Amino acid sequence: MRYFLLLLVVSLQSAYAQQTILLDTYGAYNSTGVRRQVTDAFLYGGLIDSSQINRSLANLQQRNTFGLQMGFNAQWQTPWSVSKDSRKWGSSYRWVLGAGIHQYAGLQFSKDLFGLVFRGGLPYAGDTLDLSNLRAEATIFSKIGFGIYNPDTKSSFLLHMVSVQQHLGASIQKGTWFQDPSTAQIDLALKGQANLAGSAANTYGVAIDIDYHFGASDSADNQQQFQLLVQNLGVARSAKSTNYSLDGTLAYAGYSLAEWQQTSLDELTSSFLDSLGYQKSVGPSWMLLPAQIRLSKTLDWDSPQRLEAYYGAQFILRQTYTPLIYAGAQLKVKKAWHTGLGMAYGGFGGLRMQAYSAFRFKRSELLLRSDNIALQNGASLYLQFRCDL
Amino acid sequence: MRWLSILIILLGLFSCKKDPTRWQTDWLVPVLNDTLSLAHLYNDSTLSISNNQIDINLSRTLLDLSLSDIVKIPDTAITQQYQSNFTVNNVTPGFVFVNSVKVHELELGDIQLKKVRVQSGQIQLKVYNPLNTAVLYQIELPGVSQNGQVFIQNYTVPPGTVQNPSVATENINLSGYDIDLSGLQGLEYNQLQSKLTLKTDPNGQAVSIYNNQVFKFEASFQNLRFDYAKGYFGSALIAGQEQFTLPYLDKITSGSISLPDLSLDLQIENGFKMALRAQIEALSATNTQGQAISLTAPSIGPSMYLAPAVGTWNTLQPSTLNLHFDQNNSNIKSYLENLGAFQQVSYQLQPNPWGNTAAGHDEAFAHSHLRLKIAAQMPMALSADGLTLQDTFALNLKQDLSKTHVTGATVVLNATNAFPLACDLVLYFMKDGQILHTVIADAQLASAVMGQIDPADGLLKKKSKIQIVLPPALVADLQDLNEVAVAATFATTDPNTGLAIQQHIQANAFLALQLQLQLQTQIRP
Repeated sequence: MRYFLLLLVVSLQSAYAQQTILLDTYGAYNSTGVRRQVTDAFLYGGLIDSSQINRSLANLQQRNTFGLQMGFNAQWQTPWSVSKDSRKWGSSYRWVLGAGIHQYAGLQFSKDLFGLVFRGGLPYAGDTLDLSNLRAEATIFSKIGFGIYNPDTKSSFLLHMVSVQQHLGASIQKGTWFQDPSTAQIDLALKGQANLAGSAANTYGVAIDIDYHFGASDSADNQQQFQLLVQNLGVARSAKSTNYSLDGTLAYAGYSLAEWQQTSLDELTSSFLDSLGYQKSVGPSWMLLPAQIRLSKTLDWDSPQRLEAYYGAQFILRQTYTPLIYAGAQLKVKKAWHTGLGMAYGGFGGLRMQAYSAFRFKRSELLLRSDNIALQNGASLYLQFRCDL
Repeated sequence: MRWLSILIILLGLFSCKKDPTRWQTDWLVPVLNDTLSLAHLYNDSTLSISNNQIDINLSRTLLDLSLSDIVKIPDTAITQQYQSNFTVNNVTPGFVFVNSVKVHELELGDIQLKKVRVQSGQIQLKVYNPLNTAVLYQIELPGVSQNGQVFIQNYTVPPGTVQNPSVATENINLSGYDIDLSGLQGLEYNQLQSKLTLKTDPNGQAVSIYNNQVFKFEASFQNLRFDYAKGYFGSALIAGQEQFTLPYLDKITSGSISLPDLSLDLQIENGFKMALRAQIEALSATNTQGQAISLTAPSIGPSMYLAPAVGTWNTLQPSTLNLHFDQNNSNIKSYLENLGAFQQVSYQLQPNPWGNTAAGHDEAFAHSHLRLKIAAQMPMALSADGLTLQDTFALNLKQDLSKTHVTGATVVLNATNAFPLACDLVLYFMKDGQILHTVIADAQLASAVMGQIDPADGLLKKKSKIQIVLPPALVADLQDLNEVAVAATFATTDPNTGLAIQQHIQANAFLALQLQLQLQTQIRP
């Protein structure tokens, strides 16, 4: 990244043709039911008190979602044409360099599992807890690549080399927990798998970014212009990932005195895992990157309309992500200031308020957006900066 | 201004320091699920069941001496050799030049053996030939025989020299051999005979035998044990002290019990065909408070005499002397109620107290033993009043307070008691032997007499639930504690009077335990 910035600075000083720097960073977390204070304790530290846990539990449905996304992208649209021969198609395109780092974490869980984790087993003695349909997906990866950019259509295509720092894919298809209130016997049934690849697993891959603008080329004819943005569409291969699987039942009611005297704690743990059908294997594996696909109406600075609608939809190639749709109205406050207010639904949360403001300066643009301005069960901030040099 | 800026920056940095994420959870963890009973002690000469009650049927052997302990022949080597007084020239092949019997005396103290049978042991034979031709050695032990066949071994020893005689060695198992030690005339004792016969090689050359050539054999008797002996077994005194510890009684720290009328038998058994003097010098017991008591009875102290056993081999009938101790002739009740964990008995046993009056006709067989046994049989019943058993266990509950850790705990004990004993529990948590926390159970483990008869098994039972709350200060100290002492105080209290009364233990009585831990845990991911 340091060399990339150095190259950027040198190029800025030497280039004469128009070139553009695009920086965007984002951070968002949200849940369908878990209160923000609970999540904030994980992000910023602190005690999660029982009232927050109980209020979250009251909000939760039988199936719930929590997710977190963070990332940073940088793109340099160079002044250099792909071809200097104006008769060739390449003359319409310029080289573009890009890099970024992204984190995706998504969790689908039952209300019972949340209660078991945050309240413990004692409050549920006598109840059968449903731990099924748990799904956890987490990926942290960085990328660097190059591509081409069309200054006229503002469309671009980039090919990236990807390095995955961490990947987790886990699911429990069937799971129940029951504790007898009188004998305290625990009956646990689990069926699930997990795949884990850490930084030592040598996980590399390729991904493409596509930024395609279509629709009316001139807003004066009152037609809409749209953007289809595909990011991180690709695969990676881990040379040494670890697979875990569980498929079994465990009934534990304590041990006899003789068993406690003759058995070590490690042996007891091992017998638990054997009962649950625990298996572990190490080997290569392939994974899909959390590709993000967004179709949206683009902001038109030159639109004659003072008030108009905006809308869009976003999908991430992950089972823990629900497609996000949003819509709202945008107001042209000034020629260089647009702002909008709308509603969003999906992603990791429910219906929530969304707002944005975009500022246009002489050679730069700044966009600030939040998909959750009421901080309902989460927070969201999206920041984009574009600078023409 | 510059310092103010630095201060503001520092404050900003510290304000960004992340407080650990944490929350409280409550768990119920089953720990112990067991049923304690006396079933494994039934019919092993400790307990038996009679009329729906458990009887103590105790039988222990304190001393057991067998024939090998009384009659021993130490590892013994005998040698027989031949050396010519003069030179004999031109000895023809096959010439027999030695054929003599030698008698060897065994050193056995005052024991005079006429005959023994070897149960196990061996003889090592070693033969030396200094002649420059092969020599045929015939070694005969005239008193040693098996199934009527006298022990004879033949060796052809290759030629040797005076300086380096050739040697032949062989180990022979003597198990099952009879050894007659009564000498040539059958009137002696402790006498072994050997006979050496030498013959030059019949196929060899004529040789000369010089007066410096020594022809010899060595026979070493090793690890001999006998299953039969006859003779006079001496009158050496066997005196000793036997000590033994009664289990669980060493854990009693205070309180008392009252036992029913009971008796104790001490039996002396003489399985040897010889007279025996026996004397129980003292029987004493010391409890954990250091209080010692001696059993006093007319039979403790004086010498008693046992007749020889009768019969032979499988028909052997030992003579026995039974010393019976009860409330009429001893202080046995006080002796046992002292709860002496450390028992000690001093005794003397002396064979043939009047000397060799049987004229060397003492006999012992494979099943002959001198035994000292103790036996007691009584209904298992007791009256306990504050009887306290205490035992200490190592504790290793290290926890890192910066990680997920326990902040509070309660021990929950669900018990079903079919014993007529109530129990109060106290836990002492210690560090290096010093008590830091004392925790008392909130209730008593109730006696079965407080319960009702369960029609399923006909046993009187009582259920109890006991909670032992470990205070936060104790939980905070858990990582420093390294021992826990559990003190259990038992009482056989009459539910009507509140006084300790004698209670019988029901047959198949048991104590079913379910131990659970209620843990308040601070989770720190």
